[in-house]
Amino acid sequence: MTISRKCVPFTPFDRELSKSTIAIVTAGGVHLKDQEPFNIADELGDLTYREIPPDVDSSQLRVTHHHYDHTDADRDINVVFPIDVLRDLEAEGFIGGIAKKHIGYMGYTMQLKAMYEGTAREIANDIDKGSRADVVVLTGG
Amino acid sequence: MKGIPTVLITVSPEVSAQMRPPRALYPKGFKIGNSLGRPNMRDLQKKVLRNALRLLTENTRPGDFVTIEYPEYGEQYEPPRVKKSSA
Repeated sequence: MTISRKCVPFTPFDRELSKSTIAIVTAGGVHLKDQEPFNIADELGDLTYREIPPDVDSSQLRVTHHHYDHTDADRDINVVFPIDVLRDLEAEGFIGGIAKKHIGYMGYTMQLKAMYEGTAREIANDIDKGSRADVVVLTGG
Repeated sequence: MKGIPTVLITVSPEVSAQMRPPRALYPKGFKIGNSLGRPNMRDLQKKVLRNALRLLTENTRPGDFVTIEYPEYGEQYEPPRVKKSSA
């Protein structure tokens, strides 16, 4: 991976939070329990990602990730995927709304180039085209 | 593709810094797997998410990591360090 050590990609934010729609993208291995789990058997990692709908019942979310202790996320997914927290912020008017699409992937890979140039771009395109998000909140494990 | 503004909540700031995120919040002392705080601490989770989102409207310098302490989190943890190359 050849990336500049100096350049920070930066998109300005010129809206008001109270009128903005927020999407979550997490590397924490989050997916719906009826979606295919991430492949933790492959030592190279899993380059796929899962789309999570905005009206998801958070009790239907699971974590498949073997490189962090997700015991706490198993009890309350909001510690890595704050969908119910976003709903609270929407209810109190702090944000405008919740995006139409959110993403979970497993942020562990030995295939950095494929993750950086493939999966990450696919996620960005997917969010750009399908989520109507004004802002993306990124979380790790 | 247009750019979408992002903000990262990270409990591993040194590791995350390698990817040069444009805006990042480090909730000090939170352990891995607790990006927003502990389970069912909704008030804390809301505070962390509000603080992260506010980085979009504050004049943060691209690439800066903002560290905020949350005493209500309780026991603190050391974040993982990046091994420095000896070359």
